[in-house]
Amino acid sequence: MKKIATIFFFLLAFSLAPYTAFADISVTLNLNRNEATLSDTVRMTISIKGSRESDLEPVIHGLESFDVMRCGTSSRFEFINGSLNSGVDYQYSIRPQKAGTFKIGPVELKIKGKTIRSGIKTLKIVERARTTGLNRGSLFLSAGVSPAKVYVEEQAVYTLKLYHLAKVKDLTLDLPDIEHLQFKQLGKPVQYQGVYNGTYYNILEVRYAITPLKEGIYEIRPSKLGLNVYESGQISPFDMFNDNFFDLSAWRPTTLTSEPLELNVIPIPHEGRPQDFSGLVGSFRINTRLEPSELKAGESATLTVTLSGRGNINRIPDIKGPELENVKVYADQPVIKVAPDSPGPSGSKTMKWALVPEKEGRYRIKPVSISFFDTVGGKYRVIKTPALLLLVRPGGTGEVMPLTGDGKSEVKAGPAKKEIKELGHDILPVHTSIKDIVPEGRFKPGTLSFLLIFLGPCFVYLGVFIGTRYYKKKGGSKAFTKAKSASGIVAQRCKKAGISSSEMIHIIRDYINDRFGQSHGVPTPDEAAEIIRSNGAGADTVNELRAVLQTLEDAVYTGKGNKPCNMEKDIRDLIKRIEKESR
Amino acid sequence: MRRFIWLSIVGLFLVCVLTVEIKADSNDWQENFFRANQAYKAGQYKKAVSGYKELIRQGVINGHIYYNLGNAYFRMNRFGRAILNYERAHILIPRDADINFNLGQALDRIKDVIPESGGYISMNFFQLKSLTITEILWAFACINFLFWTFLFIRLFSRSEWTYYFMVTFLALWLMAGASFCLKWYMTATDDRAVILKSEVDVLAGPDSKDTLLFQLHEGTIVHQERTEDGWKLIRISVKKRGWVKSGALELIQPASG
Repeated sequence: MKKIATIFFFLLAFSLAPYTAFADISVTLNLNRNEATLSDTVRMTISIKGSRESDLEPVIHGLESFDVMRCGTSSRFEFINGSLNSGVDYQYSIRPQKAGTFKIGPVELKIKGKTIRSGIKTLKIVERARTTGLNRGSLFLSAGVSPAKVYVEEQAVYTLKLYHLAKVKDLTLDLPDIEHLQFKQLGKPVQYQGVYNGTYYNILEVRYAITPLKEGIYEIRPSKLGLNVYESGQISPFDMFNDNFFDLSAWRPTTLTSEPLELNVIPIPHEGRPQDFSGLVGSFRINTRLEPSELKAGESATLTVTLSGRGNINRIPDIKGPELENVKVYADQPVIKVAPDSPGPSGSKTMKWALVPEKEGRYRIKPVSISFFDTVGGKYRVIKTPALLLLVRPGGTGEVMPLTGDGKSEVKAGPAKKEIKELGHDILPVHTSIKDIVPEGRFKPGTLSFLLIFLGPCFVYLGVFIGTRYYKKKGGSKAFTKAKSASGIVAQRCKKAGISSSEMIHIIRDYINDRFGQSHGVPTPDEAAEIIRSNGAGADTVNELRAVLQTLEDAVYTGKGNKPCNMEKDIRDLIKRIEKESR
Repeated sequence: MRRFIWLSIVGLFLVCVLTVEIKADSNDWQENFFRANQAYKAGQYKKAVSGYKELIRQGVINGHIYYNLGNAYFRMNRFGRAILNYERAHILIPRDADINFNLGQALDRIKDVIPESGGYISMNFFQLKSLTITEILWAFACINFLFWTFLFIRLFSRSEWTYYFMVTFLALWLMAGASFCLKWYMTATDDRAVILKSEVDVLAGPDSKDTLLFQLHEGTIVHQERTEDGWKLIRISVKKRGWVKSGALELIQPASG
């Protein structure tokens, strides 16, 4: 089964290979940390998406001050939203040679003769970790906050580092709960090796953004970390078998606490506060773009305004769209992107409008401005986009459905939609249609019609079922039918007046044969008498039948067979008696 | 024999059709209906109420009559009676949007907060809430007829297709039967009643001297549990139950309880 699955996978991969070859190829550069000491190693990953091979090794710029060691390559195939993606990851370990802030990248690589470049990452290297000079043992938790002095709503980064020599597992972190301080984790925890007081440790680092909501001096109480630590000194004597089962006793639960810290939160000054200040704190920039800037009347242009930077991104307000005469404006949903794994939250908010001019002319789009408190300069700043010009030439009159951005997002009409307001309360009118007023029928549970409708089909079925069974049981043959109708036939035939003796003798013989299931023979008077006697007829009836038959036979044999016998009534009565007495 | 079978089937149909005939004398109630509507439009709501009530007395039991009666009471600001009649109309024509709208309007005007009724049998089972018992009964009757018909055909022709039809209709028969039984049970055990007085004292026992537990107001829907000497034991929730005078409320399903 596994073999079949493998073959299937490879067939699929090969069959899809031509499609992946034409897919978009991109390269990204990632560092597992943004800050390190001179003695630390930083893991660098170059991910190529859309191709699994390059013409040459990637060329990485900005690594002149680092020792670089290649750690391996890994290929990947992945299905994302129904489409196949392939790629390759190059892993490197870099160690700094000197302190400073370095820009690493871009990475360049050639694929099918085409050069592709990645972005640039910043890495800060400090001389050495801030240490107390104390030997803190083989396992300890360290905390730090940077910067220690911030403005209200300016974010500080709270870093927790677990230094350990032995193996650890089952980590549970308990952060301090402080009023007016909000903690939000920045990215996933990272693991690396580093030096503390001359000792190499394995370090597990996790970062949180702290957002202060109110000014004051806050004491950040110690964080608590619960974990199980592997104690190599207490290895079981059975450890020689290296069996995990015997290792159980070596895991010891323990709790670590970090050092307390202090965060000084100062208020944002009132002085110089702009009227439109929305509470945005940090460092931001604004960009605007109009595409195309020249078009025909009835066509659509897209105005894009992007606010990006570092700080409380969620506070970026929605900017009002431009108001232009003879231009329809359709707003798109703003898109907020936050990068939590950078050294403090950064991100952007992009707002788009589709502009559809109805008439030719030159339209001036006014500058858009926004104010924020710049934490670096310690003052309010207003950033502004340049004024843009939209040149519209005469064009077709057809209505254009504008699309903003990639055309996938839903567009909304310029004037903001409002919730429907109820202006009054009243009931709906009476129903006056006669055809709706159909009085209830009598078809209700428990009524005769109900019983007939429900039980009728059942009874019909059962009646027919029992009837057919009975019919079959009784033979269902012609003989049975004949026996039933034999006396009736006699009565019918005897209605006629002046029946001859020879005809009458045939009538009686037919009756005997049909009624008692005899073969079509010619019974003698004695035989006929015996037949009805054996079927239960009384002695008188038996004798009378014998006598009647004898009389008729005598008439036939004496040449009077064609003359009327004048016995019709007697015969009818006799047959009735036979019917009555026979079984 | 075959003649007998066909005659039986035709006879059965005739009996069924004849026994579910609509009342022949339709002119009277049409006239009354027209007059009641005219009175309503002229703002003579009391007269309209009498007209609609007369129709109901004549046996014209129809959801639209109850709806119109509810409207007339609504116009007279008797929201308890309006809710009672809207609820009765809702039982007979559950898919009518006008009823739900007007019922909502009437419920907006009552003083008490009505807790959500959490019955142990979901009223949404098989969409029973949106079907009347007559509709379910007709569906069940048709399925019943078809089921027995296919069983009947199999007496004479045991072909494969008749077997599959028979099994299909047997499954449908069971579903329709279960739905019908459930709906019948829900209708028969519907103990909801509407408070008709503007303010009603709910006491701890069936005596005026008993402790006053709480008060209810016109239009509140309660569950009536039992009747004793001119008093009725009502329930709103497990913690809110007590006795009220019989005239203070009326059952939505007049036959139940």
